[in-house]
This record gives sequence, structure tokens and C-alpha cells, in this order.
Amino acid sequence: MTDYVLQTEDVAIHYGGVKAVDGVAMTLERGQIRGLIGPNGAGKSTVIDAITGRRRLTRGKVMLGGADVSALGVVERRSRGLSRSFQRTSVFGQMPVRKQVELASYKMGTPDSHADADEVLRELSLDHLGDTVANDLGYGEQRRLDLAIALVGHPTVLLLDEPMAGLSVKESLSLAQHLKALTARRKVSVLLVEHDMDVVFGISDVVTVFELGRVIAAGSPAEVRANPRVREAYLGSAA
Amino acid sequence: MKTSHLSIATVAALAIGAAVAFGLSSGTLLSLLTQATHYAIFALGVGLLLRQNGMVSFGHALYFGSSGYIIAILLQLKAVPAEAAVGIAVLGLTAFAFVIGLVIVRVPGVAFGMLTLAIGQMAFLTASRSRGLTGGADGMNVDWPSTLFGVPTELLLKPAGMLILSWSVLVLVLLGLGVLLRGRFGSVTEATRDNEERARFIGIRTLLPRAAVYALSGGITSLAGVLAALNTGFISPEGLHWSLSGVALMMVVVGGTRVLWGPALGAAVYFLAKDVLGDHAQHWMAIFGTALIVVIVFAPEGLSGALCRLLRTPRRQPPAPAAGNPSARVAH
Repeated sequence: MTDYVLQTEDVAIHYGGVKAVDGVAMTLERGQIRGLIGPNGAGKSTVIDAITGRRRLTRGKVMLGGADVSALGVVERRSRGLSRSFQRTSVFGQMPVRKQVELASYKMGTPDSHADADEVLRELSLDHLGDTVANDLGYGEQRRLDLAIALVGHPTVLLLDEPMAGLSVKESLSLAQHLKALTARRKVSVLLVEHDMDVVFGISDVVTVFELGRVIAAGSPAEVRANPRVREAYLGSAA
Repeated sequence: MKTSHLSIATVAALAIGAAVAFGLSSGTLLSLLTQATHYAIFALGVGLLLRQNGMVSFGHALYFGSSGYIIAILLQLKAVPAEAAVGIAVLGLTAFAFVIGLVIVRVPGVAFGMLTLAIGQMAFLTASRSRGLTGGADGMNVDWPSTLFGVPTELLLKPAGMLILSWSVLVLVLLGLGVLLRGRFGSVTEATRDNEERARFIGIRTLLPRAAVYALSGGITSLAGVLAALNTGFISPEGLHWSLSGVALMMVVVGGTRVLWGPALGAAVYFLAKDVLGDHAQHWMAIFGTALIVVIVFAPEGLSGALCRLLRTPRRQPPAPAAGNPSARVAH
């Protein structure tokens, strides 16, 4: 039996008559990177919110390490190894960089949170900015800080919601390659929502395609690229 | 600041307080400094709430006035010794603030301020109208016994004694807050203040720390109320009125909350202005109000923030990552 660190079964989130997400079933294996793509409003971020407990499920189940966490809150899911970054940069504006990353590590129960924070900061090239308050950082640095807060504390599953948003093409590709190496080294499975197709197809092991709140295709990057429905619905000439 | 530096600063501050108290011969000046110290503690309580929770209270006079009333009533009823009455007032109000905090800190922004105003004014009206228990609008005396915590009350009530006691409480409150906020509690509350949603996503249960800050803030304010009740031996509904909360808030705005002692500086400036301007202008508050506007516009972090900016050495440019570091490839 496959060792799934994360599994969603028939997940649905409805707002009255609007089906933001409907019947989504997905799995994530240990160490795997799964890219989620689809047009704006397809339900990708809503799925991330459903998995993390930010939004209540209308129907379905979220399993983390084989255990049903659907009824648990955000904090409980985080303590079970589920971590995320946000579509809009979400850091602690008035706190120094190192202090907030160390706090995030401590709250995950890391025995040596200082060393853990230093390691992640070094890997994301933020170590020289440890004493700088987040509000004084540039946009790209804040994006990496957001990522550092999510990565620290050795989570088992990392949900990244458009981590490359607002970065240049060069910055995106650089961060993507770095992210791949970093997640492999820290043995963390990743669910990656991203609009940059070069990034998604470049670092994902598998790709899931959303349209109107439903999964329309899933498979290896090559299979998804070749899927006529995906090309028609989303990729177009980008494929 | 290292722990050893903190200890030295505390001892030095206590010594300065004693030297000033014994060095000044003017009873009026000592009395003014004592009042300023009480309000400095009051402002510290209000400032703590703003600094750690990002919340503005318009009703902290509730804790300032209630502590005096609790002690006065308990002593009048001869229910407990004065020392126990002080403990009940401070701890009881802190516990009350925690319970109230569990409900009201969930409410964001202006609505929170309005809730604090409403609760404070409820207490004001209750004290004003419960003539049989509180003396109504006339207020009531606080019948302090001849000794308090083993010290003759007469000694404590002398201007120099009162200033030393009040100053020591102020310094110890600052020390306690300094130690507490340098630790994990400080980080957790700062993170919650800056970005509550992200704080939950790093595993912080945000309600309890916010309620704890509100409780601590109420407890500190109640300490100021105890000292004021000891100093005057009298308590009236004015001690619960929202305008008093407004004055404390002004002190916080003038002093700033960037550093812990900012609100205390604001209280000192307020009393200095009151004394100096009061001698020359009947409507000195109008002048102080103008000064307040100037501070808000030109030094939004308050006088303490401006002072820190002036004294701070220019920040060094952080060194760039080493060229050999593979992570240096990550774009900036």
C-alpha cells in the first residue's frame, strides 16, 4: 500500500449554490512535489485552505499521515506537520527575521529551534538579514521569509500558494530550483499552486489540473502537457 | 539588554528614586512626582495593551478606580486585613480582566475600544449610584490601618515615603515586563499582534495570549489605583470615568510604545506640562492638545521613539551572502 502523507477524499466547499471546490480527490506521497494548476478561480487556493483548515468542508475528508484531520483546527493540523505559505506575503511585519523564524520552529516543537532557524535562513540566503525587521525587507526577501516560516520546524507536508508571485522570471526559476533541492533535503512533501508553468513543470513530480472547482486531469508533467483537454482549457500555446 | 545590565539599571533606578525623594524638600514637588509616578504605572498598563496587542482601550480607568473601591469596601466592612484587601483588589481585577478579555479581545479595532468604554462606564455609573455601598457621587474614604505590610502607614504617607514606594513599584513593573516580554511570551504576543492569521498557521493559539496581555494590562493599572488610593485615602467615581482613561491614552501617545518606558515618559511630560502651563494658562489642556497633535504628526512613534531614533547609531549595511554560498543564487 502506498504511503500517502496527505490525501483528500471527495472534498467539496460550497458557498450557497456556488461550488468553489467539488469532489476533489488527491494524494501526496512522501517526498513528492505535486503541482496544482488551473485558471484563476479554478479552486486551487480554496483546496489549500480546505486542507489547512482555513475553510470548513461542505463534504469530504482530509487525511494527514493516514489520520482524518477534517474536524481539527488550523493549530492542530500544524502541530501534525502541515505547513503553508500564502498567496499574499504573510510575515510578522515588526519582528526581526530570525526571531520570527525561530518562533515558528519552536511552535513546531523543534528541540533546537535556534539551529533549525539558522539553517533555513542560511539556505534561503536570509541569514545576513536576521536582525532586520520584516517591514524593512524587499519584496523578494519577504517572499523568501514567508517560505522560511513555512519550511522551518520540519513539516511533513508543505502547501505553497503561488510562492513565485511577483518575482521576475529569473528570480522564479532560481527560487524554484532551490526549493526543489531544499524540500528534498528536508524530506518534505509539497503541494504547489503556481501560475508559472515553467516552474510547475520544471520541479513537480506530478501535476493536477483544476477547472471550475474540479480536477480535470492528473499525471506526470509530460502526460498533463499532452492532455488535449488541459491544452484546450488552460495551457494553450504555453504547452 | 543583558540580564546583568538589566539588574544594574534596576538598582540604579531605585537609587535615583530614593535620592530624589530624600533630596527634594518641596512637598508640592514630591506630591507632583508621586502623582506622575502613579499615572506612569497607569499609562504602562494602557501602553502594554497597545504595544503587545495593538489594541486601544478607552476604559482602563475601570481597573484604576475599582482597585481603590474594592479595598475601601473590604476595609469598611472589616472583612479582611488591608494586605489581603490589596491582594484581592489586584489579583481579583487581573482575573476579572482575563475573563472579560477572553470575550472582548476577539473584537477588532474601534469596536474593541467601544466595548472597553462601555464596560468602564458601567462601572462608573454603578459606583455613582450605589450610594449605600460606595458613597455615590461623593465617594468614600479608604480606612488604611496603622501598618501596611509591616510598615507604619504614617511613614508611607509622608511625601518622600510615598514617592519611594510608588517609584519602586514603577521600576519593578518595568523590570518584570522587560523580563517577561524578552521571553517567549513577548514573541508570541508580538507575532499575534502583527499577523494573527499567520500566527495561527505557525501553531499559536492566539486568544489566550491576547487575553493574558489584557489581564496583565488591567493588573498593572489596578496597582496604580492601589497606590493612588493609598496616597489620597479617598476614592470617588471620577477614578472610574472614561476621561481618566483618555488622559492615560494621551500619555501613551505622547510617550510612545516603541520602548517599554515610553508611556511612563508620556506621563512625566503630561504632569510637567500640567504644572508649568497650568501656572500660565487657565486652559492649559488646549496647549497640551496642540502639543499632542504635533507629536502625532511629526513623531508618530512618540517621544520615546523619536529619542531612540536620535540616539541610534546609523545602521550598518548587512553583508551580502558569500559568493561561494550556493544559496546566493537565490535572487534578491
